Amino acid sequence: MIEVRGLTKRFRGRTAVEDLTFSVRPGTVTGFLGPNGSGKTTTARMILGLTQPDAGTATVGGRCYRDLPHPLREIGALINPGAVNPSRSALDHLRWLAAANKIPAARAETALAQVGLDAVADRRVGAFSLGMRQRLGIAAALIGDPAVLLLDEPINGLDPEGIRWIRIFMQSLAAEGRTVLVSSHLMSEMALTASELVVIGRGRLVAAESVASFTARVDSSVRVRTPQLDALAAALTTAGATVWREDGALDVVGIAIEQIGAVAAQIGAVLYELSPQQASLEEAFMHLTSAECEYVVERAAALVRENELVDEVAA
Amino acid sequence: MSSVAMEWTKLLPLHKTSRTVASAVALAVTVSGLLSLAMAANAGQMSQDARARFDSIGIALQGVNAAVLVVGVFGVLCVTREYATGMITTTFLAQPSRLRVLAAKLGTHAAVAGVAAALTCAASYAIGQAVLGTGGLSVGWGAHRVGPALAGGAIYLVLSCAWGVGIGALTRSSSSGITWLASLLVVAPVIVQILPASVLHVVGPWLPSQIGMSATAGHGIPNSFGPWTGLAVLAGYVLLTLAAGAWRMVRTDP
Repeated sequence: MIEVRGLTKRFRGRTAVEDLTFSVRPGTVTGFLGPNGSGKTTTARMILGLTQPDAGTATVGGRCYRDLPHPLREIGALINPGAVNPSRSALDHLRWLAAANKIPAARAETALAQVGLDAVADRRVGAFSLGMRQRLGIAAALIGDPAVLLLDEPINGLDPEGIRWIRIFMQSLAAEGRTVLVSSHLMSEMALTASELVVIGRGRLVAAESVASFTARVDSSVRVRTPQLDALAAALTTAGATVWREDGALDVVGIAIEQIGAVAAQIGAVLYELSPQQASLEEAFMHLTSAECEYVVERAAALVRENELVDEVAA
Repeated sequence: MSSVAMEWTKLLPLHKTSRTVASAVALAVTVSGLLSLAMAANAGQMSQDARARFDSIGIALQGVNAAVLVVGVFGVLCVTREYATGMITTTFLAQPSRLRVLAAKLGTHAAVAGVAAALTCAASYAIGQAVLGTGGLSVGWGAHRVGPALAGGAIYLVLSCAWGVGIGALTRSSSSGITWLASLLVVAPVIVQILPASVLHVVGPWLPSQIGMSATAGHGIPNSFGPWTGLAVLAGYVLLTLAAGAWRMVRTDP
């Protein structure tokens, strides 16, 4: 269990992470998504006690990283796979990590076998390929058999076979009841691996929900083709919709498809197409983290307020 | 303590560690041997007075002043190499208390430096005395101040290693750390030679190299602190640098 509460970090006046709150539950793979520079790594480093937050807290199993007596037994992290001494063997690298947290030395061999590096255990890390270093980094994360794993961009540098391996591996770790938070900017990969999402943009939380409900957020987009583009766009906007123009067609969100048909009938617009659009995770992500990011957050907040009103009325 | 176990496990498999000890000893023995050889060759021309003033102990221990760079660099690199590779983040993941990391590095590396220092002093003194003996200039192991000079030389080496650790924590870069260390130990004594004598008298005793000379000398040398006072001054430099390095390590994230 990872809990982040009101986490904020500024670097020389520039805000990297702003009032970030989310929690990561055990038993599933949670994808941590955001464009480059959105604050993913800064957040990961704050969870791991490598960067001091300006405000807020990040806890692992209820405690701050720096208060964990043997952190590697609680949370395993892959943050910088290049961070090894190149003149040391893979086994030696894991041995000093084990010694640091009173972990039995035999765990080093077990962890190497888990990531498939047992055959090169005695080889110099400097001679490793990027993919092998990633695996060694994952072995280092697993050394203390931790209940929580935090992997920052683990598929960087992996070949397709390696990517497939890590996907299945992460899912099996989650199936064992571990908490797995994996950051990436590769949507398609996350769609295959993760079942929960934490999405950030410009250091702020955009969404923290299941992949299904995240993609459903932009599922409501409806494509409309008509010769009377301007008139229909104006009418739909008046009806409360948000409209994008895309090569001779309109993408409409914010109102139901039936209502769009009714508005078109009212102004006598001829429709060539009226179809609900299935958004991929990637499209959902682009919509929510680009210029529309603020709008969606406001809209989500409005939805929450509406729900609260409904709840009050119901009570 | 587990952070000491961590640093110890990092050190053990590295051939660099044993190479450091070996090269410190080899360098010291070479310097002491050559210097003693030069002295012994000139022994015939020495006056009775010069023989009486001759510092047999100090000459035999001259190798310490060469070995000091080896152990100092060993100290610098133990911190800066981890910053260079980024491995320091892995170290901080394993031990989030950065002060403990620094203390463990200091302890383990000072221990290795201690072994190197003991071997260096004993070996260079043994060689130096053996060579000086050919010119009738040796005083052997039983002479007055042999024990304190050997101990002083060893302490000087261990303190230099600790200074290196502090400089490494402060600079975080191998090149600038080694430059600082070499400037303080080797370049500074050359630079101050151009100062007027009146200034040199004030500055001279405070130089680390002068403190090392005084610590390993067989009798008091001019324009310097006594052996133990000098080492206390050096310990002061080391503590100040370590405090500054610790402050930077804790305050500035890697």
